[in-house]
Parts: sequence; C-alpha cells; structure tokens
Amino acid sequence: MLAYLLKRIVLMVPTLLLVALMVFLLVHFIPGDPAIVMVGGDATPEALEQVRRSLGLDQPQPVQFVTWFGHVVTGDLGRSIGTGIPVFETICERFPTTFVLTTLAMLFSVALAVPSGVLAAKFRNTGKDYLFMLVSLLGVSLPGFWLGLMALLVFSVQLGWFPSSGYVPIWQDPIAGLRYMTLPSITLGFFMAAVVARMTRSSMLEVMRLEYVTHARAKGLTEWSVLLKHALKNAFAPTLTTIGIQYGMLLGGAVVTETVFGLPGLGRFVVTAIYSRDYPAVQGCILFIALVYMFVNLAVDVLYKAFDPRVKY
Amino acid sequence: MLKRFFENRIGVVGLAIIVVCLLVAAFAPWLAPHDPLAVDISLQGMEPSEAYPFGNDEFGRDILSRVIWGTRISLGISFFSVIFSLGLGVTLGAVAGFYGRTVDNVIMRAMDATMAFPAILLAIAIVAVMGSNMFNVVIALGIVYVPRFARIIRGSVLSLKSREFVEAAVALGASDAAIIFRHILPNCLAPLIVQTTAGFAYAILAESSLSFLGLGAPPPAPSWGNILSEAKDFMLDNPMMTVYPGLAITFAVLGFNLLGDALRDLLDPRLR
Repeated sequence: MLAYLLKRIVLMVPTLLLVALMVFLLVHFIPGDPAIVMVGGDATPEALEQVRRSLGLDQPQPVQFVTWFGHVVTGDLGRSIGTGIPVFETICERFPTTFVLTTLAMLFSVALAVPSGVLAAKFRNTGKDYLFMLVSLLGVSLPGFWLGLMALLVFSVQLGWFPSSGYVPIWQDPIAGLRYMTLPSITLGFFMAAVVARMTRSSMLEVMRLEYVTHARAKGLTEWSVLLKHALKNAFAPTLTTIGIQYGMLLGGAVVTETVFGLPGLGRFVVTAIYSRDYPAVQGCILFIALVYMFVNLAVDVLYKAFDPRVKY
Repeated sequence: MLKRFFENRIGVVGLAIIVVCLLVAAFAPWLAPHDPLAVDISLQGMEPSEAYPFGNDEFGRDILSRVIWGTRISLGISFFSVIFSLGLGVTLGAVAGFYGRTVDNVIMRAMDATMAFPAILLAIAIVAVMGSNMFNVVIALGIVYVPRFARIIRGSVLSLKSREFVEAAVALGASDAAIIFRHILPNCLAPLIVQTTAGFAYAILAESSLSFLGLGAPPPAPSWGNILSEAKDFMLDNPMMTVYPGLAITFAVLGFNLLGDALRDLLDPRLR
C-alpha cells in the first residue's frame, strides 16, 4: 500500500514538471512584451524595467524556468502585481472558501446521485427510470452559471429564502455561512449529480446481471438487501472514479460559480487577476489548482482499492 | 444501422433538436426580425412586446434576434473547436500508438499534463493569455479536448496494430500514413463518433462559460454566453432577458447529449 503510494507519487513527478512548464510558458505566450501588457503602454521605462526584473524576463528562458521552479518548490509563487501580496498568502486565504464550496457541492451531489442511480436501476425501463434519465440528461445540459442565476432569481430575490449578496465564512458562523453556501453548492453540484447518477445507474445494471446477485436473490434475501449490500458495493468502484474526476472538475466550475454568487474564493480571484493582467497571480493559482486536482485523482485511485479488492497494487 | 438508429426515439429527438439548431443558424438573417446589433436607446430594457417578443436589452437591441444569431456564433465556435481537437487529437493519438516508445511517451505525457488542469480553467488561462477573440476561443476549447481524442485513438491503434489486416498492409509495403488512415482509423470510428458528439455538448457549455466571464467572443457579438453575461446586470428589472439565452444553450446541449447517448447504445454493444 505504502509502496504503491510512493510509486504513484514518483510517477507524478514528470507530469508535475510538465504542468509547471506549461504554467510557466503561459506568460511567455503573451503576444508582445509581457511587462508592457502588465503595467500598461504609458508606463515609465524604469517601471517596465522593474517588472521585467521581478519576473526575471531579463534572463534567458531556461534560466528563468529553473529560477521560477526553484521558488515554486519552496512555496514562493511570487507577488501579485495588483495587490503586492505574495500569491501563496492569497491562496491560503482564498482557497478555504473554494474548498468548502466544492466539498459541499460534492456531498450534495453524491447524496442525491447515488440513491437516485440505485433507484433508477431498480426500476429499470419503467416510467420512474425514464423520468430519472430525463432529469439527469437535463442536468448535464444546463449551464451551471445559468442555473445559478435562475436560483438566485427564484430563491433569493423572489422568495427571499437565501441571501443574494454578501458572505460569511462557514468557519466563523456555521449557520449563516451555510445559508450563503447553499445555492452556490447546489448549482455547482447539479451537473456532477447528474453525471454520477448516470454512472451509478449503469454500473448497477452491469453488476445486477452477474451471477452472485442472482445467487443472493436465490438465498431469499430481500430485494433491498441484494441491491444495497451486494450490488451497490461492487457498483460503487466505477462510481467512485467518476466522483473523483468530477470533484476535480468542480474546482474549475467553482471559478464560474464564485463569480455568479460573488464568493471570495480562489476562482473569483483568478478571474479578477485575469482581468487585471496580474500574471504572477494567474500562474500561481492555476498551478495550485492543477496540483490539488492531481492529488484528488491520486486519492481516488488509492480509495478505489477499498471498494474493489481485485485491484492489485 | 440507420433503421436501428431511427427506432431509438431518444436519438431521433436529439437529432431533431440539432437539425432545428442548424436550420436556425443557417437562416438566421431571414429568421431574425431585427438587426441583432441595432442599438436603440428608446427601447432600452423594454419588456417583451409584439414587435420584440423577447424584449430588449440594455442597448435596446432585440433579444430574440440576438438569440437567433447567437445560434450561429455558439454552434460555429463549438463546431470549429471540435474539428480542431478532433484533427489534432486523432493525429497525436495515432502517431503515439503506431510508433510507440519515445514518441508515445512524449505525446502521452503531454496529454497527461493537459488533463491535469480542470478543463474550463485551462481554457480560461489560454484565452486570458492569448487574448479573447473568436479564433483564440476556438483554439483554447480545442486544446482542452485534444487528450480525450488522443487517448481513444491511441488505445484503438494499439489493439489494432498487431491484427492480421494491418500486418498484411505492412507486408504489401503500404506507407505508414496509408496504414494509419486507410486501415486503422476506419476501424475506430465508433468511439470517435460518440466522443465527437459529447465534444459538441461540452464545447457549447464551455463557450458559454467563457463568454459569461467576458473571455469569449468579444461583444457586441451575440453569442449565447455574451447575451447572458450582459443580461445578468439587469436580471432584477428584466428577468426574462436571462431566461431565453439559457434555454437556448440547454436546448442545443440537450440535443447533442441525447444524440450522443443514442449513438453510444448503437455503436458500443458492450454498454447496451
């Protein structure tokens, strides 16, 4: 187990290096002089020179990469041009909100998706199943940000159930914080719920054809016991992979959701940084999110084993 | 095959939705009652009326006409981005699978690295750096989807490479390109078609997200995401303004998802 984990982490290193290289090159793909793009065309030559030096743009590119990467490894992602604060500090301050948002979205979607996927499989090819398929297809077809806007309109503006602006961190006041997080996490998790539910249904159907399920039925177990204790346990492994992949996607989706609901998370910070051409901030945040994404995928692969003992490390 | 497809009602509904969208896109100039870019301050933020059934936006532009023209822009961007990723992904995947070893390693590690970013975030980053115009949006959305095509094709090529008909082609002295394109690719069309359909659905959604963040086709181009993005500031006064473009996006994406589901059932017998 530990050996497997170590092996996976070692195998991640080349991908990590490539990811870092891609993020590094982002700034170098800016057409023209990145320094001018960042400080604006009417900046003084001294200001330009200072930006160039702070970004290391006066060095040869390979040297720049090595220097930059050396800093990154020690957690130094540079300073934001906009705020002057180290990017890493901003990430530490902003990421918890994004983490809470994506985690709540995941919990919501798993809680909704797995039971409905199991039910759809149980009532396969009946009216209930068709209704499920229709709703889940709608779920993967709705743009998340639009769903967010509509939810704001109905539940915050019309009905007044949830606040439409403002924010309280959930770790300061759990009840109030949850009220601010409810709509964002439901709209963010809706797409994932639809994907996971479809996956649960199809892997349940796959498993329910197998002989051991017939055997369990022949033993005289109740249908629910067969479904939940026998079938779901095996059907859950592919579902878990889907949950993991989708959790990573939530990190991207959070960028849009945080913008719609005005949440002060990392995603919203990235968007603001992009508008103000704050490239060190953009680089740092994107690299950080990619890292989190990779570790989530690793965690999923490791967890897979818990549900499917046939997997050999 | 065609007969079996038309027996599947889900697929037919999906296809019908797509055909409607394509017709709207093709005949936009004739269908739209007004000029989608015509500014008329006197009509600013008007409620739906007989002449303007969807109402008017902050510049007094006709929302119905903008949604109709938006079909052309949104479908166009997604079409070209899928073509881009299809072309690049198939080529990279085929080359990686066919030549193996170092070539395979280099290409597939690059694909892994691309997939290490959440898709929409990578697209945002690319557009942010290259600047937001329609061409760059196509490229950004395309790059993000390349690894999916590359992986599918590489897998198929690996499994087909050692089959007799490929060995026969090699023995006959066919060139590498002829073997890949004439003998191997036609045998992995099924997963490719399914993935392409899914790609359209993804691209329409992703394009609208980019536009919504102000990183898509630059205004005043009426892409669906742009219309939504402009409408959101007036959401409280005129909520219907945000409803129509959202419905249009959902409708088109639903069409591709329905078709994709039906095609998967039809082409991939293992999942039936």
